[in-house]
Amino acid sequence: MLNHCTRYLARDGDEPRHDFGQYEPGDPRAKIADAWRYPIVDSYYDGASMDTSYGFNCVTFVYDGRVTPASEVAVTGSFTELYDPVALKPVEFLGEPSGMWSLSVRVPKGQIYTYKLRVDGAWLVDPINPQVVTLDNGRQWSRFFTEGCQIPLTLARRERELLGRIVAHLLPFRSAENSKFIRGLYESMDRASRERQFPLAYRLDEEVGVVNYIDKVIARAERHNADDYKDCLSIIEGVLRSRYPGRDPVTLPSEAYADLYAEMASDDVGGWDLNRYGSPRYFLLLLRRHAMTGAFVHPRHGGNSGTAGWAYLETRFRDADGNTLFDWSQAMEAPLGRNEGYRG
Amino acid sequence: MADEEVEVLVIGSGAGGSPLANTLVKAGHQVLMLEKGPLLRTQQQAPDGLSDFKRDELFATGAEKRLTVPGMANIGASFYSSHVEPDLNDEPHVYRNSDGKDYATIEGYTAQVVGGGTQLYGGVSLRFTPDDLRLASFNAGRTDLRNDPNGEVEREARDWPVSYDELEPFYSEAERVVGLCGTRENQEKPASVDHYQPPLQPNPVSRFIAAGMDALGMKRYRTPLAVITRDHEPSGRTVPKDHETIKTAFVNRYGDPLGLKSNTWVTLLAPIVGEPNFELRANCVVTHLEAEGGRVTKAHYRDPAGNKRTVKAKTVIVACSAIESVRLLQLCGRLDPAFDARIQASGMLGGYFITHCFGGASAVLPERADKSKTLDSDWATDHCATPDFIRANGLWAGGAIYNNTSDAALPISLARTWQAQDMDNVWKGYLGQTDMVGDGFETYLDDNFGRRVSVSFMANQVAQRDNRIELHPTVRDKWGRPVAYIVKDWHSHDQELMNTLAHQCGEILRNAGPGVRFDGEGSVGGQVSRIANHVLGGARFGTESKDSVLDQDNRAWEFENLYVTDGAFMPTSGGANPTLTIQANSLRVGQVLLGRL
Repeated sequence: MLNHCTRYLARDGDEPRHDFGQYEPGDPRAKIADAWRYPIVDSYYDGASMDTSYGFNCVTFVYDGRVTPASEVAVTGSFTELYDPVALKPVEFLGEPSGMWSLSVRVPKGQIYTYKLRVDGAWLVDPINPQVVTLDNGRQWSRFFTEGCQIPLTLARRERELLGRIVAHLLPFRSAENSKFIRGLYESMDRASRERQFPLAYRLDEEVGVVNYIDKVIARAERHNADDYKDCLSIIEGVLRSRYPGRDPVTLPSEAYADLYAEMASDDVGGWDLNRYGSPRYFLLLLRRHAMTGAFVHPRHGGNSGTAGWAYLETRFRDADGNTLFDWSQAMEAPLGRNEGYRG
Repeated sequence: MADEEVEVLVIGSGAGGSPLANTLVKAGHQVLMLEKGPLLRTQQQAPDGLSDFKRDELFATGAEKRLTVPGMANIGASFYSSHVEPDLNDEPHVYRNSDGKDYATIEGYTAQVVGGGTQLYGGVSLRFTPDDLRLASFNAGRTDLRNDPNGEVEREARDWPVSYDELEPFYSEAERVVGLCGTRENQEKPASVDHYQPPLQPNPVSRFIAAGMDALGMKRYRTPLAVITRDHEPSGRTVPKDHETIKTAFVNRYGDPLGLKSNTWVTLLAPIVGEPNFELRANCVVTHLEAEGGRVTKAHYRDPAGNKRTVKAKTVIVACSAIESVRLLQLCGRLDPAFDARIQASGMLGGYFITHCFGGASAVLPERADKSKTLDSDWATDHCATPDFIRANGLWAGGAIYNNTSDAALPISLARTWQAQDMDNVWKGYLGQTDMVGDGFETYLDDNFGRRVSVSFMANQVAQRDNRIELHPTVRDKWGRPVAYIVKDWHSHDQELMNTLAHQCGEILRNAGPGVRFDGEGSVGGQVSRIANHVLGGARFGTESKDSVLDQDNRAWEFENLYVTDGAFMPTSGGANPTLTIQANSLRVGQVLLGRL
């Protein structure tokens, strides 16, 4: 357990060296490294079979009670039956309490959960996890999501549609031939595979899950880049509306997006409000990194839907006998891949 | 815990600390090992059947973070590190660039995890040549050294206090206990025993490399790699039935969830971890040592929760990787002038920091291969390590050449390493090339995916007094301790050597056959920061106390019980990747200690 704590939490320093713009001033999370890693969402194995394990994550909650020692810590949330609190246990080092508390639970993949901690009777949002949501009743809860989550978290529907158009210009999957390939991949699967690999098939479009990957990465590991997306998508919406009056930017022909891309690459976009966001090229490079990553990343991170990115390479590159020259599934865990030893 | 006392304290669990710990524990001595990083088990070892190392490209090069260390010229820069590399904002290494400004860098950091750098390395496990260990003798009286106007190369060359013949049995033993695959014939490194396991089938891209080496008359051998291909008795590890499934591109910069890569945890520590006379404490960072006169008495460390603890020890081994070991000893000196007077008796602690002259060449092949089924290298040659080659080219030393097979083998790594060879520049090349979009992106994949090959050299760097590790005057780590400050530059002769060997790498590719499109050659010359994660020197050993920090047994001259056994001891950097030599030397020091404890 301490393997997941020491590097990130143990320190003397009081400087906010981990604030890259994602925190409000004074947020104590800025003093610890990678607060986004908590709670820890990891693979799950039941000791018997990957088929029965693959649908779950092992999620570990951590409470840091080193400064103010607690005598009882529990967690409740949408992952437990009837919100029954479950106790965290003290983590020991050399037979003594370390001040850290933890609890690991099995949770289904692909979902969003909210939770709170109870420390000596008082309910609080997780002081480490930066993901906090305000529910309809105005109350704040901590939030986490499990691997392969396809439920939108950060970007609104309109933002996702617009982003999808831009991403489709960036990546090769936009061409008619490749779009056919992606659809063919889906249609070639049996129903069980479809449900496993494409839990929300209606999102399977030409961007192979890149938009979903971005939605997730700016919700967690790169939350400091979330405002860049919000601001730039809003600016782009305005730019396209003023260029094509009376038309919906999302339905514009691909040339409109090609022009926009070229202007962003040269850091000179007509109508771009530089006071709102100083460099369209900077945003474009951010988008290029996320698009490339999201297309070919391990699907646990929300991109590469149904391994469509890998399958594209697997199919595109073959030797004279028709054997693939990107046999990704040999190395990957079952049931995603066919490696018999590695469990993910 | 105040009275805890151990016989031997080993600080660091990588290539420098683990071999001797294994030797001492097996001989019945009581050893406590403190490791700063976590203990990440293999699937077989973990209670839940899962490893914290994954075949996932985001584990090698993770989410974007930004540098926030005050005073750095690269403040605000993006960086992407592995989950077991240090967080640069918490524990930066700072180097002084050629513009005179200070930059934080990830270059030169080894992994912070049980097993240290051997968890993430590519596993290339070459010996040094006999001449690598006697470069003063080799260069005595020479007047033909190129671009050495002040005669520094001959003046600064040192013979090791240990000869190749003395080190040889420990090389052999290291090769046995670590578990390597490779072939021996055609090596310029004499061996008394061949403990290599058979190599796996080379990746198809490597046939072009073999053709190029053959065309040039370069005798080649299968690169020795720290990966087992057969069941390995000394560590009790077994391999999958289908040996070829051992090959994956998740090698270099990835920990191995199956434990087939021979890191020091699975090979040397896991077999002794159940012994009553051994304890491994992960997530514990030693902050300083305390001494009474010439005896180190106590280590101060932070436990996993950050609490201060101490442990008394009769013998202390420092093996935190060269930069961090030197820094630890300098920090001890900062806190205690008497300690400083002893450890700095020669004034040389931190000086003569060395890394490697390295570089190579790359090409695009006419045929595509599946590079995702590979290890880190297939073919190596000692052609440029022979005395004839070295003298004929007016060089002071030579180096090994080998091909890389796992580079750019996976789609995200192809992009993020595109025209960006070091960790500080990851992603920049691909992102800036904005014409790689749409059809341009497909062309890029067609031209490069599964078609790129590269050949590297690894050669001796001239040791210079002014290339050094200091404590940075203002930057502190998360514990409030001054961080390491790296001040170094290349010697003019280094540049000659790098140009010569880069040209040889280029020749291999230019002779690799029809259709091979040569893509360029080069080296790290001109780039101050580049280190190859081979951090060496800074506390060199020698036969004279005035000229070294450690004696020939790696013991600090003015201390009775303080040893440094990572790469810091090296007076010259050798013409090959250093890990196997660090391991062999650690076994040698372990043998010495058996006679003293």
